[in-house]
Amino acid sequence: MTPRDGTETPEAVRPPEGTPRTDLPGDGEAEDGGDFITLVPGPLTGVFRRGWAWLEDRTGITAALHRRLYEAVPKQGGWFYTLGSATLVIILVQFFTGIFLLLDYVPSVTQAYSSLEFLRTNDLFGDWMRGIHLWGAYILMLLIGLHALRTFMSASYKKPRELNWMVGVTLFFLVLAMAITGAMLPWDQASYWTATVVTNIPHYLPIIGNGVRTLWRGGDFVGQITLTRTFALHIWVLPALLVALIGAHLLLLFRHGEFGSWVNYRTTSADPAAEVAERVRRAEPPYPTRGAEPLYSVPRETVDFFPNQLFKDTVVSFVLVIFVFVMGLISGAPLDGPANPATLTYVPTPEWFYLPLDQLLVFFPTQLVGFGVFIIVGIGATVMLLLPFIDRNPERHPIRRPDVLVPAFFLIGTVIYLAMLGVNRLYNL
Amino acid sequence: MPQMILALSTNPVPGTVLTNTVMVGMVALLHVLFATFLIGSSTLVALSEGISMVTHDERHERLARSLVHWWGYVFSTGAAIAIFFVIFVLVGVWGRFFVTFQQFTFWVWFFEALTFIGEIVLLYTLYANWERMRAYRRTRLGMVILLNIDQWFQMFFIDVIASQMLTPTVQGATVNTSYLLQFLNPTNLPLTIHRTIGNIAWAGAIVTITSAFQYLRATRREEAPALASGRREPVRALGAMPEGELVRERNREAAYWDWAGQWGMLFAFGFTIVQVWVGYSYAKEIQLHSLDSWYQMMYGWISNIFLGQFAGIGLIFIFGVAYFWRRLKAAGQTALARRQQVLLVLLILLFLFGLQPAWFAGSYPDIVAAHLDKPFWQGGLEDPLGFFFPWKVIVLIADVLIAIFALTFYLRARVRTPMTMGQASRGSQRLLIALGIVVGLMMLIMGIIRESSRSPYLVNQNITINHQVILQQPAPNLPLNQRPIGP
Repeated sequence: MTPRDGTETPEAVRPPEGTPRTDLPGDGEAEDGGDFITLVPGPLTGVFRRGWAWLEDRTGITAALHRRLYEAVPKQGGWFYTLGSATLVIILVQFFTGIFLLLDYVPSVTQAYSSLEFLRTNDLFGDWMRGIHLWGAYILMLLIGLHALRTFMSASYKKPRELNWMVGVTLFFLVLAMAITGAMLPWDQASYWTATVVTNIPHYLPIIGNGVRTLWRGGDFVGQITLTRTFALHIWVLPALLVALIGAHLLLLFRHGEFGSWVNYRTTSADPAAEVAERVRRAEPPYPTRGAEPLYSVPRETVDFFPNQLFKDTVVSFVLVIFVFVMGLISGAPLDGPANPATLTYVPTPEWFYLPLDQLLVFFPTQLVGFGVFIIVGIGATVMLLLPFIDRNPERHPIRRPDVLVPAFFLIGTVIYLAMLGVNRLYNL
Repeated sequence: MPQMILALSTNPVPGTVLTNTVMVGMVALLHVLFATFLIGSSTLVALSEGISMVTHDERHERLARSLVHWWGYVFSTGAAIAIFFVIFVLVGVWGRFFVTFQQFTFWVWFFEALTFIGEIVLLYTLYANWERMRAYRRTRLGMVILLNIDQWFQMFFIDVIASQMLTPTVQGATVNTSYLLQFLNPTNLPLTIHRTIGNIAWAGAIVTITSAFQYLRATRREEAPALASGRREPVRALGAMPEGELVRERNREAAYWDWAGQWGMLFAFGFTIVQVWVGYSYAKEIQLHSLDSWYQMMYGWISNIFLGQFAGIGLIFIFGVAYFWRRLKAAGQTALARRQQVLLVLLILLFLFGLQPAWFAGSYPDIVAAHLDKPFWQGGLEDPLGFFFPWKVIVLIADVLIAIFALTFYLRARVRTPMTMGQASRGSQRLLIALGIVVGLMMLIMGIIRESSRSPYLVNQNITINHQVILQQPAPNLPLNQRPIGP
């Protein structure tokens, strides 16, 4: 454990949960706004100080901020832990750009396309906003996938963080659902045929398949009801679930603290048990993690979240946001011709993150499509969700976890390969 | 100049199509075995060198050194065969093909040659200076990685050519095809991935075969009792060597070769698991983009060779899991060994089930022509349980899952309970040799299937084998929609 000032504090004892730390800079000023006042320009200081004191009096915000900002995080590997916060930032970008798009968009089969045409041609920055929304979705998919991969590789999902992993996996599925429902809204050729293909997939389910398809489509064919229901899913149902689960994800993270990875828990002394006991004795909140094995309850070295980790989080998020904005401006979001159910020549192509699934559909013969799509993908999704309960080996080092890493590499390799094949196939259509 | 070359190479070299094909096939396959080993082994060297730098494991350092030591011989032989293949065999017997193909894939060949030069520079530098560069291990590793990249691109460029021969981007046009489209032709990606994985599996197979032989040598039966008990010196002694040193030396050697055989086997076995899926996707792309060739593979005379490929996959898994079983048993992990035994029985049953031919004839059209396209119990020559869909697909999926389980169980056992090296049974080493040989055979069979599936074309729909002329009309076969297709 390395205290912020670099000196040893052997007598440090973990304060009770929720107690604000008293050895932090600015704690003496907490009642009148604390050290945040120093960030405010001179003439406004008095006003801000009074305002902050009013807010502090009613909410206790200073202590809460201090608790979060100065909580300990593992020292090693900080850049890898930025993926979660970057994901959150991009989700926020998606919410804001989505709200702007809602100002123009009309969820009607006769007006959806023209409303986007209007947005593209008449609305200042409208097209850019659409571009940001699309590229934000792309980056979000990539980020959430990498975040999940990082969590998997570092075995952060193990006891007592099982529930947080499950919430995270559900968030991943929700983002996928957001992406596919969003792709169906513009009601151009691409989205119409995407809607046709996607809403048809449930019918491969035995017994309930046709019912689910009819429910989603609002009939036998894709039409106005399909659009209305998909719109409702995209802007109400899924975001509400997303926000709730993000809240749960963060709460659980605050409770258990950042795990980091196995490198943060290596012991170096001849008496590992004594070393671990000493770590636990000197742990700073939120460590030691309740319910974890002693070895994995406190990282070997920690730093404060602010400014160390927050700086890294900000850099990564900032770079990604800039990238999304630039790509939104340069590349924008495509808009095909208006939806035409009578066309015979249009070849629908999925978004890149659905290419593996699409390629799976290509590979399976008709009689095995249901098996391929629902059994294989279903088993994969269930295993992913229940991973912490399947992999109960306490080891965290990847080399010592071949029982999950070998199948996982096979699975990840397959997904990447299918995506590559899908891209290649698109060039050969 | 191009006209002159064309004029020189227009006339076919005397000889039959069969003779020429066999000659090309033999030399090409021989070349493939050398070249693929080099590419795969450089990956293994990079891996072992990297691991030994991090963990200071002397076994990895020794393995990397041994492989680099082989490179000199393997590369010079493989390169000589390649040069002989291109200059004499290919230009000699299929001159028109080579010159025509050169015209529209000139830059691909050019960059292929450049990577060849890069390979010569890097490989010989490493071969000649491996020990001297020990003080600069990072540089040495960097050079090995560079060599890997260079060789991968070399393979990629030749795959552009090979895949273009099977699924040309533009049917009926061998000239003026964009290079980008050549690179993106439908089967280039699966072929490249298939070969990348296959190369590593093959290099692993060579390592495992060699190590198994060396292990058998180090634990020869007449010396085994002495080695095991350490009671007396073995038959031979070395000068003034201290008493018992020869036994200890032999034990050290046995431990190393036991480890190396297992290390190579994990690549040969593990990468073959991936090959099943990649191979399936490759066949699917052929079906989608070159139905003629796919038809030859699945229904034509090659279908029986294809069945051999299917059997090969099953044998690799059987030998591999049998090795896991024997090795765990030798290590005293009886319960885990029994689990492997159960998986082995399942694999054997699947192998026998999957080995059934779908029809008892040379090709499917044959039995259709004879009106015998009905199940054998109705007097026909069909065996419905041998059809690819769904039976062989199910067998493949089950094979892959079992192989993944077996590998996972074995690695888990290795991780959780330390295994003493040098205790492997001699029978387990014979299994490794058999596994390695089947991996090599699979590479040859795969080559034969792919190259024969285009028949009668050298470049699909463009140049035929027997007349060496560019055709502008489709194959002189029945239209696809009139051909018999099995259920």
